[in-house]
Amino acid sequence: MAGERAARVWAWIAAAGEGDPQGSLAPLCRAAAARLGVDGASVTATSGPAVREPLSASDELSTWLEELLLTTGEGPGAEDYMFGSPVLIADLEPVTERWPGFAPAAVAAGARALFAFPLQAGAIRVGVLSLYRAQPGPLTSQQLGDALAFADIALQLLLDSSAGISALAGYHPLNGLSDSRAEVYQAVGMISVQLGVTLEEAFVRLRAHAFAASAPLHDVANDVVKRLLRFAPDPEPST
Amino acid sequence: MAATVDERLAQAFVELADTLVAGYDLIEFLQTLAGRCVDLLEVDAAGLLLADGRGALRLVAASTEQARVVELFQVQSDEGPCLDCYRSGRPVIVSDIRSARAVARWPQFAVAAREAGYAGVHAIPMRLRDQVIGTLNLFKTAPDGLDPAVVVAATALVDVATIGILQERSVRQQEVAAGQLQRALNSRVMIEQAKGVLAERLRVTPDEAFVMLRRYARDHNHPLTELSGDVIRGTVRITSDK
Repeated sequence: MAGERAARVWAWIAAAGEGDPQGSLAPLCRAAAARLGVDGASVTATSGPAVREPLSASDELSTWLEELLLTTGEGPGAEDYMFGSPVLIADLEPVTERWPGFAPAAVAAGARALFAFPLQAGAIRVGVLSLYRAQPGPLTSQQLGDALAFADIALQLLLDSSAGISALAGYHPLNGLSDSRAEVYQAVGMISVQLGVTLEEAFVRLRAHAFAASAPLHDVANDVVKRLLRFAPDPEPST
Repeated sequence: MAATVDERLAQAFVELADTLVAGYDLIEFLQTLAGRCVDLLEVDAAGLLLADGRGALRLVAASTEQARVVELFQVQSDEGPCLDCYRSGRPVIVSDIRSARAVARWPQFAVAAREAGYAGVHAIPMRLRDQVIGTLNLFKTAPDGLDPAVVVAATALVDVATIGILQERSVRQQEVAAGQLQRALNSRVMIEQAKGVLAERLRVTPDEAFVMLRRYARDHNHPLTELSGDVIRGTVRITSDK
């Protein structure tokens, strides 16, 4: 079950989080590196294909690979941006022609397999989760499913930290975006028009409202779709 | 003269093959396929659910956008014939969901299906070799089962859906298949977001917005998912013709 998998992955992240502020991405990267049979993991924020900002990494090589990706403009993470699908490169060596600037340098530095998971829900795109391994080889289907769950949680942590709720006591990232039904996405679209904001911002407002009301996201979204609840823009500060 | 089932099936395959041209929109293709299932298989509603790679099934296309029916497809991510079909890789044919056996097996789903007015609930696996990538779900109001010939036709339609989702190049690699499935699921999410944007702009329901989106996509030869992105960004404005 998807819910059980998400709960297991969140428990791994929580166990890796001693000493870090709640909701920080560092334990997520450490847990991903430890649990997915890879040697490093990083999360990078993206806004558009050319704008990338490294947020957290489990190790130095992960950080270096992100920088290499940024300077060359090649590699997984650059290509996956438009499509919303993971880019899974079990062996970088045969694909050096595809990324002549990136792949040989990455292999020389000690990364043979690379896996990139966009942090995306429809038109909401906030970043990418990247994994590397020194040894070539694919992810097992179990690891692939877990990696998707890590990416779901990373997406939620990024949006929830914008909403200012990821650091609050009792925060839990589950039952948010990853297992959402159609009404949640429809509500996000409606709120974006009501407030004149991006879908990311609209989701943040919906999530903050549900959290403050201690109501399930799906119930609040249903109220929006049925037009029982409208979001109003913040009033202009008066002078 | 009325066409035979075989003739109608052949026509549907021709129509579906025609839509599988370069740059086709996958969700539009699957919507067409779900609609044809209702015509050809003599069922009352059809939905296509894809495995999301995390262990759950998600609805990507349905013959109806009626909220109650959509909910019934979606609820099977937790419990129901579709989930059993996905896990076993075998068709699950339930002639009457109100039977004691069905109620004992899927207590929540059975109640929801009965309230929505359905008796027959059938699920056909969508396969890629030994991997099950999703299911076709068929609802009937009559408790008269599913004819074996209909199961054969449904299996053929499901195979066409698999081809549409995975595309030729993907069939070689399991990893590419995983990518294609995520892409399909993400397309559906983007369309739901665009429905919301359009519903709010034009003061219509999300269902009405979906009809308008599909009509605009067809009239302007604009792939549905791409159009959805344009509507969200505001680069395409669809106006109400009411």
